[in-house]
Amino acid sequence: MTTLAAIDSSLRGKAALPLRPAEQVMDIERLGAFHQSRLSFMRTLVRRIFRERWLIEPVRFDLDHKGYGTVVYEINAPHGVFSFVLFSSFLCDDERNDRVIATQWDLTMALVEGQVDAAYVEKLAQNVPKQEAGRVDSRVFVLSRANRSGRNFDYVVDQLAAGEQPDVDKIAQVGYLYRTTAVYGSGKLGMADWDKVRDKHPDFSRPFAGEMFVCWMLRNFSLLQVEHIAKHKSPDSFKPMRTDIKHYFGIGNSTGLGMAPYLVNHPQLINQWIEMRELALARVRTLGGINSSVQQRLIALIERCSLHTAQTVTGDQRQADHNQRVISDLAALKQQAIENLVSFDSLIHWSEQHCSVHGQEILVSILLELHPELVDELEDFHTVEENLDLEPLMPLQQLKTIIEQRYGWAIAIDFTAEGARDTYWYRSEEKMEPRLGSIADAQGKKKHMDLAVGFAVHRCYQLLCDYIKQHPDHTKHSTARFMVVQPKLRGTVRRIQTMNHCVYGDIQANLLDHNVLPMHLLRCKLAFFGVSKFDPRSRLWVRNTMFQGAPLLEEIGQPFSDDWFMPLAPTHLPT
Amino acid sequence: MYISMNELKAALRRCFEASGYFVGNYEDAANMILWLEKHGLHGLNELTNAIDYVAADREKPLSKVVYEDSTSATIDAHGRSALNCGAAAVDLAQAKALESGIATITVHNCHNRMFILKALTDCGRRGISAAAYWQNGSDVITEHTAAIRSGQRYPSYSEALTSLTDSNGTCVGSCEQSSGNTRENKQALTIICSSRVDLTSSLQSKDQHYVSPQQIAENKAQTVEFGIEITQQLWDQINTLGTGILVENTERSRLDAGGG
Repeated sequence: MTTLAAIDSSLRGKAALPLRPAEQVMDIERLGAFHQSRLSFMRTLVRRIFRERWLIEPVRFDLDHKGYGTVVYEINAPHGVFSFVLFSSFLCDDERNDRVIATQWDLTMALVEGQVDAAYVEKLAQNVPKQEAGRVDSRVFVLSRANRSGRNFDYVVDQLAAGEQPDVDKIAQVGYLYRTTAVYGSGKLGMADWDKVRDKHPDFSRPFAGEMFVCWMLRNFSLLQVEHIAKHKSPDSFKPMRTDIKHYFGIGNSTGLGMAPYLVNHPQLINQWIEMRELALARVRTLGGINSSVQQRLIALIERCSLHTAQTVTGDQRQADHNQRVISDLAALKQQAIENLVSFDSLIHWSEQHCSVHGQEILVSILLELHPELVDELEDFHTVEENLDLEPLMPLQQLKTIIEQRYGWAIAIDFTAEGARDTYWYRSEEKMEPRLGSIADAQGKKKHMDLAVGFAVHRCYQLLCDYIKQHPDHTKHSTARFMVVQPKLRGTVRRIQTMNHCVYGDIQANLLDHNVLPMHLLRCKLAFFGVSKFDPRSRLWVRNTMFQGAPLLEEIGQPFSDDWFMPLAPTHLPT
Repeated sequence: MYISMNELKAALRRCFEASGYFVGNYEDAANMILWLEKHGLHGLNELTNAIDYVAADREKPLSKVVYEDSTSATIDAHGRSALNCGAAAVDLAQAKALESGIATITVHNCHNRMFILKALTDCGRRGISAAAYWQNGSDVITEHTAAIRSGQRYPSYSEALTSLTDSNGTCVGSCEQSSGNTRENKQALTIICSSRVDLTSSLQSKDQHYVSPQQIAENKAQTVEFGIEITQQLWDQINTLGTGILVENTERSRLDAGGG
């Protein structure tokens, strides 16, 4: 069991481990090449559920023969009792819409503290199916909705009803029965604030643990529901789904621009996640032993990742090219692992010289799998108290030096270059959906969101240099004095000063650039969640799969190997 | 109706951003209101009094330091709300206290001074003790003080009715001993910060209403558990102001979200 002090001494000072530098890690393209790892939130949640043997069972199961109705699961976790309430409703195919602006869904769900009685379920029934148009109270801490997969849901029901199994090759194309289109927490729509969840419910006190739990429960319910419908459709011929095929069903997810502002607006939290990931890597590089068993495991994981990538279906040419390159990178890494495996550190260095950024980052995830004893304990250190504090006493010369050292990337951007400020971010009046506009829309630009940290720091640096020039006695001037003169810079200056205390700091990108790819931001956060099968549908939104390969609800209490990293199609599993 | 703290903060940020507050200032303003309400000190009542004037601050000159030495400064806030100038004044007090041990900042022409409590609390969290004093009202004058010790999370707060009046600059009762309540220094706020001394404050009035740090902590626990009660009217008003940052929805605009 590690401690905050031990982590801190590994990150900073004389005993610090050799971490990868911020200018390497925080580059937006590399962040966009991150993959799921054993520190991803889905992995850490499943580990907790299975090691603590949570008791989860339906206490109300009112579904008609077509699968519509209400289901309530009761969850007995070590620190409390919770209820997962789910409403399944009929939805016409032409009303099914994954966008945040949709108003109806096949399934709506809520995660609630404590047990729920009939009156409370009725109260939820009046509001949860309405999602943004409804209100809930502070007993609820996650709210979500999902739509059936048009390609899989009815097909799987028909197969099971006919006593057949779903075709694995077809499932490999779309690895889910439902897509969740939004998972809300942190006080939205009247729900409990994160402060309450963090302090009162240790079972869900890690970032997004409640949200991930709802998605995992949705996945379990989806498998239960298709069997329920198929059984009622044809009781005589029905056969349940094979367990290995069930494992291969995850939950689909569509993620759009809404995730990008979160990353920019929570820099300390994102830094914390990255510090833990990089610390885990540094531990494995430095302390991770190698023997023949570890080497064999490394080779097996490389092969698994290669096959997983080969089984990833995407219509996006850029993603397809990346996947192909990753497969060739993995082949080269395998060869290196067989012939020249001296240390993990040298393997990382080799990958940096010979592999794509995507290949390098998949190797990072693989290495974290090899030494869980060096990695897993860091899962308890993914939260941080977020305060962007001004350091009023800081001399202006020191502030200037910090900008030069920590934000050199922002100073170096030529914002007068063509296309460097062609994009702006804004919120639509339609459900306040974040959108990305062109500077050509002058009216819209006036209402832009302040997400361009690079530009703000660049501008702040110019004004600071001007102030220092105009005030030869500036050495006597503190940041506080500068702030009275330049109140417009308050938010930027305190961000700079606060992030200076972080190892990794801000994401290094010009988010105003004509060619900015928000996809990188979305993918970074999704990788921390633990998704796989990235399938970009444009530069602004991406489909992916959650919990594919994860153990099933009914397997709680059985031997648990925690080895569902980069899952493979059942037919490709070794016999 | 009940809303969450996060909902209130997000709506207030939109409201102040739409009202022309700068980056950093609109977060401060939202946090100041939320902090009072969250800790049982009626932030929404204060906001109700202030909300009609929020947008007017855009037209006023920026705060100006009119006097300064190593242990003190005087700032003219030009009639601005503490929501958008209070935190900077506390920062200046903190900086001087760190240099000199103790410092006093006086802010003139500053409205809604109750909101300063959040900034004082931040001082305490950062290891600087802080205290503030101000008077309110014209016909009937109340006085207020708040203080936090170094390293603490919650301040104390006191308010009391005074026998002062300033209708024509004259005074009754103990006016001579008081700091004076003439028209010239109305809307004044005095902030004291120290890195060396733990400051506490309480009013001399026997009828003061005193809220202890413990009571403030208990109020917070209640809010975290159940959320914040707000009138539909105020909630609508905040959200209506916030629509100023939203861009009209069009078919072309929908494409800016990526279609799908």
